[in-house]
Amino acid sequence: MRMDTVIMGGGLSGLTCGIALAKRGQRVTIVASGQSTLLFNGGSMELLGHIEGKAVTAPLEAIGTLPQSHPYSKIGADNIAALADEAKQLLADAGIDMEGSAAVNHWRITPMGVAKPAWLTLNENMRIDSLGKLPAKHLVLMCIRGFFDQPNGMLAQGLRELGFEVKTVEFTTDDITALRRSPSEMRATTLTKRLVSHNALQRIADQINNLAGEAEMVLLPSVFGQTDSTDFQTLQSLVKKPLRLVATLPPSVAGGRMQTLLRHYFKMLGGNYLMGDSAVSGQFDGDRLLSVTTAKLGDMPLRANNYVLATGSFISRGLVADYERVYEPVFDLDVDADGDREQWTRFDVLEPQAYSRYGVATDGDLRCMKQGKPIQNLHAIGSVLSGHDAIKMGDGTGVSLLTALAAAKNILSGK
Amino acid sequence: MATNDIYKKEYDVIIVGGGATGAGTARDCALRGLNVLLVERDDYSTGATGRNHGLMHSGARYAVTDGESAAECIKENMILRRIARHCVEETDGLFITLPEDDLAYQQTFVEACGRAGIRADIIAPDEARVIEPSVNPDLIGAVRVPDASIDPFRLTVANLLDARINGAETLNHHEVEGMIINQGRVEGVKLHNKLNGEHVEVRCKVVVNAAGIWGQRIAKLAGVNISMFPARGALLIFGHRVNRMVINRCRKPANADILVPDDTVCVIGTTSDRIPIETVDDMRVTREEVDVLLKEGIKIAPSLATTRVIRAYAGVRPLVASDDDPSGRSISRGIVCLDHAKRDGLEGFITITGGKMMTYRLMGEIATNAVCAKLGNTKPCVTATLPLPGSEEDAPSQSDTTKRYSFGERAAIGRHGSLAARIEKDNDIDNALVCECEGVTVGEIKYAVHQLHVHNLVNLRRRTRVGMGTCQGKLCSCRAASLMGELNHDVKSAQKDLATFLDERWKGMRPVAWGDTLREAQLTAAIYEGLCGLDQAVNTQRKEDEQ
Repeated sequence: MRMDTVIMGGGLSGLTCGIALAKRGQRVTIVASGQSTLLFNGGSMELLGHIEGKAVTAPLEAIGTLPQSHPYSKIGADNIAALADEAKQLLADAGIDMEGSAAVNHWRITPMGVAKPAWLTLNENMRIDSLGKLPAKHLVLMCIRGFFDQPNGMLAQGLRELGFEVKTVEFTTDDITALRRSPSEMRATTLTKRLVSHNALQRIADQINNLAGEAEMVLLPSVFGQTDSTDFQTLQSLVKKPLRLVATLPPSVAGGRMQTLLRHYFKMLGGNYLMGDSAVSGQFDGDRLLSVTTAKLGDMPLRANNYVLATGSFISRGLVADYERVYEPVFDLDVDADGDREQWTRFDVLEPQAYSRYGVATDGDLRCMKQGKPIQNLHAIGSVLSGHDAIKMGDGTGVSLLTALAAAKNILSGK
Repeated sequence: MATNDIYKKEYDVIIVGGGATGAGTARDCALRGLNVLLVERDDYSTGATGRNHGLMHSGARYAVTDGESAAECIKENMILRRIARHCVEETDGLFITLPEDDLAYQQTFVEACGRAGIRADIIAPDEARVIEPSVNPDLIGAVRVPDASIDPFRLTVANLLDARINGAETLNHHEVEGMIINQGRVEGVKLHNKLNGEHVEVRCKVVVNAAGIWGQRIAKLAGVNISMFPARGALLIFGHRVNRMVINRCRKPANADILVPDDTVCVIGTTSDRIPIETVDDMRVTREEVDVLLKEGIKIAPSLATTRVIRAYAGVRPLVASDDDPSGRSISRGIVCLDHAKRDGLEGFITITGGKMMTYRLMGEIATNAVCAKLGNTKPCVTATLPLPGSEEDAPSQSDTTKRYSFGERAAIGRHGSLAARIEKDNDIDNALVCECEGVTVGEIKYAVHQLHVHNLVNLRRRTRVGMGTCQGKLCSCRAASLMGELNHDVKSAQKDLATFLDERWKGMRPVAWGDTLREAQLTAAIYEGLCGLDQAVNTQRKEDEQ
């Protein structure tokens, strides 16, 4: 069956683009390897967090100062506000309720108690709108005994430095001790699967009600709600004080849930999601991509009018570095990267690393370049794009969402 | 004993340097009834001890060029198989001849091995391909020798533990910054405690300089001159073990001609370059070194071409200069023990240097003999026969299939031998794994923090292997940092410690940052910087520290 659009990559950008196209009636296939970097996302989206080490307060304004090579500049600084609204609505339609504004960043609380600038944060997560105006003074941090993927000491210390009074309390329930009997790693996602029944949640609520003391707000690790926020809401209804969740080390429950909800929404809109497959090569005719061969479909290539590359950065193997060069492994597209291996990295681990900015080269309309010429029907979106540093600039999720919507518009308008 | 009480005591002997040689000397001195303090400026096994192949030489490599060293090697090799069996994997080794090598050298080699007392059996290339499937199938000759694989970290810790069991004190992160000299006699050392910044003096009758390549500096502090010959060697670690046996090239020693299996990984090395003494602290591996190691390594075992490189590192051989050989290879690996009373007229100061990790025990024996001669101690050396803790006859064995050990217990027995019994395992929390790559439990971390002089994550890695698996500490380092912060009641430095640890891991990954190693680096950055904001936290703390 011929598709309108084939998207390679089923993470945040691929799914967002797929949803935007399917909503407008397109027949869309997503080829997804099954891994998504959303598992490293604690439940927030970032538009632009830092420029050269300085926290950004007004992202829409700051975006205007970015160089032409940045993906935001390519989709037009003037279009960002509208695309950001659209993205927030799309997430809400998928069942992901987040709060925040593109005009002013708020602060998300990281697993180590650091406040980082954010654009949108899940409603149930701890957040601070203004560092001078904390949502509560006295917090109790409820630590799950034997759960090591929340560094409680660092988290409490970080919150205290932000001005909170923090009491830490260790607790457990029968469900948790049963799980801890196994010596293997107790991950956030494992706990979440255990903590679903009303009784299990009631046992946690009892502990909280007993131990919370005088605190105004109760913090818990984000281990509730595999597929939606109902478990959190149930727990909140059983606890007398307001509850907030704090992201854990990966795999993130909130990130996994966002991935699942987006996938369900895409399928609900009629999208075709090929799980566990990946594109391996393409057949070109001049400046057009004719078809894409995948690992599993073999000699039955996928054909479509338009193609979108959303395969991510090195983590997701959208980019590959070998001993000699950085390349894009599916189509051998042009990449923006240094040729000399010595230039890829810096000596100190926490310095900005050059490889973070590497990605496929695109024209002003996000069309991929091959041998210096744009491929007319192949767009690139998300982390596979060059010109931004998701880690140091805090723009990864924003670039994924907004370039996905911009590419969808280009495709729909026949650009 | 509390550190302050350690400072107050007066010792028979203070040993400078916490590598294998210093540890072996401390053990020997303690076993002969001396009052011993060992000081190390960084962590145990930070220098050349922790920066080699982990090869337990049969001596065959030196047979042709240095018969004396070869004979020492095989003797110590046989001793270590008995006294340190929990640190040794008896793999045997091959010396292979490739089409580009001269097969006539094989005969010279086998004869030289015979003279040194090293068993060397010529086997057919076909047989070599069967017993070692990873070997280059084009080989035209092979000789089997009793090489083996040894864990130098475990070996050093076992020596230190036994020294302490026999009354010695040991201090890591204590740097010698001066000598107390009185009327031509060394009477103690001036120390800088790098953990709290304190400066102290500790007194003794004899100082043993076992500081490896840094021994030249230590000697200078005592006002005597030793000319060291720093010969640098770089190595690469591959992500999994391709070879069963040690594989060497059967030719005159050259670059990258030994591939050693170490536990679950394998190591190719080394290069050899003479470097100026001022640069011995710069352990950066260069692009050229990586290129040579890969090119030559693939000739030994072609599958290395497609095996992930997880780390590069370099060490400096502490040889004593004797001629002007630019490669450093024809110089004797022989042991040098200098009594500075005889050499320089300075009493109470002995330098033990040269040699190899393989001969650390013999070096300890020689140095202890020199100390005992000065102090009139006549007790004989027993280190050649007395097993190290963990290698006693009744010690539990990792490979004992009659026992039902958990993964964590089995791994801990491998690391700590009989001392694994000291690890708490009475409850679910203590048994919980913090590092799944290496099987490290909460109980083992507690044991390391409380009993093995662990002050930071890098210390912890050296004692327990946390973060040394293929993930290079992706999640376990945060868990361990958090746990240690709680155990030490010092959460504040936990983040800085974590950043230092990640940086130390990165220093080894950076020279080989391509393929999956670059992927892991980006993943680690996504977790610790992107998700957690560790960079932000550490930068804020550094600014506060400056003010």
